Amino acid sequence: MRSFLSPGRVALLLFFLAAALLPFFVDPRGHLLRVAAMVLLFAAMAQSWNVVGGLANQISLGHAGFFGLGAYTSTLLFLKLGISPWFGLFAGALVAGSAAALLSIPTFRLKGHYFALATLAFAEVMRVIANSWASLTGGPVGLSIPFMGSQPAYFAFRAVSSYYWIILALLVLVCLVFHLLATGAIGYRLRAVRENENAAEVAGIDTFRVKLTASVISAALTAVCGTVFAQFTFYFDPDSIFALASISVRMAMIAIVGGLGTLAGPILGALFLIPLEEVANALLSSKAAGLSQFAFGVILIAAILIQPRGLMAYWPKKRHPAGSRGA
Amino acid sequence: MGALLEADAICVTFGGLRAVDGVSFTVNAGEIIGLIGPNGAGKTTIFNALVGLQPLTSGFVRLGGERVSGLKPHRVAQKGMTKTFQNAALFPDMSVVENVTTAALLRHDLHGARTKAEAVLEKLGLNGIAQADVADLTFPQKALVEMARALATEPRVLLLDEVMAALTHSEMDEVMEVIRGLRAEGLSFLVVEHHMRAIMALCDKLLAVNFGRLLAHGTPAEVAANPQVIEAYLGHGAVGKEAAHA
Repeated sequence: MRSFLSPGRVALLLFFLAAALLPFFVDPRGHLLRVAAMVLLFAAMAQSWNVVGGLANQISLGHAGFFGLGAYTSTLLFLKLGISPWFGLFAGALVAGSAAALLSIPTFRLKGHYFALATLAFAEVMRVIANSWASLTGGPVGLSIPFMGSQPAYFAFRAVSSYYWIILALLVLVCLVFHLLATGAIGYRLRAVRENENAAEVAGIDTFRVKLTASVISAALTAVCGTVFAQFTFYFDPDSIFALASISVRMAMIAIVGGLGTLAGPILGALFLIPLEEVANALLSSKAAGLSQFAFGVILIAAILIQPRGLMAYWPKKRHPAGSRGA
Repeated sequence: MGALLEADAICVTFGGLRAVDGVSFTVNAGEIIGLIGPNGAGKTTIFNALVGLQPLTSGFVRLGGERVSGLKPHRVAQKGMTKTFQNAALFPDMSVVENVTTAALLRHDLHGARTKAEAVLEKLGLNGIAQADVADLTFPQKALVEMARALATEPRVLLLDEVMAALTHSEMDEVMEVIRGLRAEGLSFLVVEHHMRAIMALCDKLLAVNFGRLLAHGTPAEVAANPQVIEAYLGHGAVGKEAAHA
């Protein structure tokens, strides 16, 4: 058996510990803690994406669709019916999971670019519906969550640190789910499907069911992130929550830059990309419009060119019993 | 008690081309049947049609009296029939034992599948390379690992598509020994192979196909003496092929 405390796992546990202690060492009202919370939230989102993108290698560019469904479901349940977002969180997961199941029927045969485009279209459709169905969604104006002071039963807190810890707990949960999937029977099946679908079928794997399961889990987790995001930011509109660049592509980007299909990859990717974006914005946005995005893009391309396997290539390696395999 | 595997007038059409044209045959429990024919005769298409990778245009496939044509490959595997691929289609990012474990998951939980995978590797004498990366394997090793993966689904009928293609004579003898051992345990085989030496030594019966049609069937000696079979081979450069193998 592999040792439970491999160097990689020790590093991951140390990261979670350091992250849990961070609010004690920074200004609790400061910008830094908000950025740190966004790093953790995007790590959780990228990890949710990683279930399908990494384990099954189905590169989705439509996860903003599930993210927004989570945010809209919980927020509308709260605003219209007074249901606590803690319950809305599960309702959002259910709605997004069902949407993923429906989406799987037409897209499960698609691979590569075709799959990416079909998922992208799905998120766009969600955005258009949210913009035009104003009686339900509030249309382009978006939805605001009223400030309620500290009401933990309704997912409302005064301190940023409370949200921060909830987001950290969410990241731990999503990482745990990813780990159980990756090392469990479904992980074997997903990797088989990723590597050779015909051979996987002949070896007795129901490839449709495996992909469907992964899609539904990935979408449900993403929706939970959407609910938490909505509670944390108090406001969202269709164009920001169903955004292609800032949600869908960023989720994929973080996982890819960090290390596709790996447990720590999305965390490394978020730790690298989100602060980088902040710094680029802070330094360059006053100089010229679009310059910060340009700099961010250039660094991103350089990162991919220098290390296509992602930042995980520099991560402490797990040793196989025979020592014959490194990764 | 009928035949274990029964192909009943199976047809596969690609556009206007009849790749498999009304082929019928049976395989009984514990039999090793060879499927021979020149390149492009439809052998691999027949295999794909049997396991459900290639939908039939018409005809039926029955396994243990139960219809399996129209089922997806994983359902056919569950009923007890699977195949190996011509160019060893292993899962490249997995170790040998992981490849075999994945298939063993068909009938076991993860723990049981690992145990099963180790047992199959042991049986094929592959336990020494269980942890190896499949990218590091030699071609004969790949072919054996693929056979191990297929066996891990615990089939009743196993279709082997040129597992001996790149093997030396002594390696071939070893693989044939393994196949005979499995047959002694009741497993049936349908074998596509270009090595006539292996086919003649291994098979109880032969099916000769050309242009998607069954030309002849019978004992290896009968089929080898069949004028139509000889013509099919001579007409398609089989002489040169045999020389290349020798």
